[in-house]
Amino acid sequence: MTMDEPTIIRITADPIDLNALQRAVTTPRDGAVVLFTGTVRGLTGAERTDRLEYEAYTEMALAKLRQVADEMRAKFALIHGIALVQRVGEMAVGEPTVAVVVSASHRGDGAFEAARYGIDRLKQIVPVWKKETRPDGSAWVEGDYLPGHQDRG
Amino acid sequence: MLVKLFATLKDRAGANAVTLAADGEFTVRELRALIAAQHPSLAELAARSIVAVNQEFAFDDDVVRDTDEVALFPPVSGG
Repeated sequence: MTMDEPTIIRITADPIDLNALQRAVTTPRDGAVVLFTGTVRGLTGAERTDRLEYEAYTEMALAKLRQVADEMRAKFALIHGIALVQRVGEMAVGEPTVAVVVSASHRGDGAFEAARYGIDRLKQIVPVWKKETRPDGSAWVEGDYLPGHQDRG
Repeated sequence: MLVKLFATLKDRAGANAVTLAADGEFTVRELRALIAAQHPSLAELAARSIVAVNQEFAFDDDVVRDTDEVALFPPVSGG
């Protein structure tokens, strides 16, 4: 990590401060910042969700977030700053659960694509799980991606 | 050795880790069988869960040592 290419990797129980992350990844060379945030969705079709509870295998999750950031830099050479932040614990509808922030000099320098790649990879290989509480009870949500040898860092 | 458990597996076992009597070296495939034999409540999940060894994905032919950090978990659902 250099001063010109900040990389912020975090698993946190604290609320995600999106403005602080935007400031932290923006370097003097940057004129474009793409920020993706996932939130707790309260309605999926007609199904209601009251809250989500996230848990992480923290040590491995940090290592895999770092791997995602490395992959983003390898694929999108012009991006500068990266923040990958996953919140854990209980969250209510509307709260940000995750943030992927990418900065670059110009909006065409791959920041949109890198952010999309980052959230997609995070949802494949970072060991975090959510438990959904609905009016009729709660259950762990299981993903559908099975890692292969190509997913090792 | 201890096997860390997360999400569905943790709930099934009622604990965030289980003890496994295992010595020396064995494959991930053998690890799954050991867990199933020693912790029958996890047998079905152990067969299809993701295994991590020293915080990296491990596959059935990989070798595990009794000093390694081992974890068992379902496909991830973060984000």
